[in-house]
Amino acid sequence: MGAHLARRYITETDTEPDPARKFEFDPTYGFPERNEREMVATQEQLNLAQVPVEQRDYCAHHLLKLLKCKRDNWPNFLACKHEKHDWDYCEHQDYVMRMKEYERERRLQLRKKRIEAQAEAEAA
Amino acid sequence: MAGVGFRRWAQALTKSKGTGISGLLSGCRAASTPPKGSLPGPFPTTPEERAAAAKKYNIRVEDYEPYPDHGEGFGDYPKLPDRSQHERDPWYKWDHPDLRRNWGEPMHWDFDMYIRNRVDTSPSPVAWHSMCKQLFGFIGFMLFMFFLGEKFPSYQPVGPKQYPYNNLYLERGGDPEKAPEEVKNYEI
Repeated sequence: MGAHLARRYITETDTEPDPARKFEFDPTYGFPERNEREMVATQEQLNLAQVPVEQRDYCAHHLLKLLKCKRDNWPNFLACKHEKHDWDYCEHQDYVMRMKEYERERRLQLRKKRIEAQAEAEAA
Repeated sequence: MAGVGFRRWAQALTKSKGTGISGLLSGCRAASTPPKGSLPGPFPTTPEERAAAAKKYNIRVEDYEPYPDHGEGFGDYPKLPDRSQHERDPWYKWDHPDLRRNWGEPMHWDFDMYIRNRVDTSPSPVAWHSMCKQLFGFIGFMLFMFFLGEKFPSYQPVGPKQYPYNNLYLERGGDPEKAPEEVKNYEI
């Protein structure tokens, strides 16, 4: 918690990725094959449900189920725990994927630096 | 209340020393004929004039200091320290508690300004320079820290959030005629 900030600003200022900038490595680099993320809810469904733009991510189908459950069970606000958990778990997995992407970028940057240092050492 | 006033007037009548009308009037007098020399006069030049002016204003001769004569028209009115009534002792039994003034006390030229509803010359609880340093030091420190926060932002070690449908091209107001930039998101 915060080690990445120390790396970014103090120790490894040239390799630590900056999330504000686009990641420079090709997404398929290093993977023999890679699955695309599957979007379950259609654009039409999201438009009909008037889901806010920020919530139209890869977990939106769980959100739609949750909204339906909530609407059907009002005023029992404790009724949709299962749907809420499903949506939360999906969002959690999404966040873990983001963390993995960041770490992948960091390791590729370090590898690139190692290769460059090795090439320089050999040239010298 | 009117009864009390009547009783007091009757008592004053019986006690009064004078005879006739002056006894009836029991010490009151009209403002139209003040005694000679009780109003402010011209700027005092001789020591006798200074002594007379001091006596007139009910001040000791050694304390009496007129305003310097620069043609502003103060005359012999005394120059009293520019301290407001806030600074006077709140617990002493003044004749006029609200004004914190005793009867016959010389009034400051700007007395109406220095009453407790208006200008307050009380000293600050801590020295002025110390207060300034504390305030501006704090503000400066906060501004500096905000500047540092802008330069070195704190963030979570996560990549950007991935959205479907070419990063929600249509939902974010993209032109439906134009082809959007292809965005592929992968599992990891």
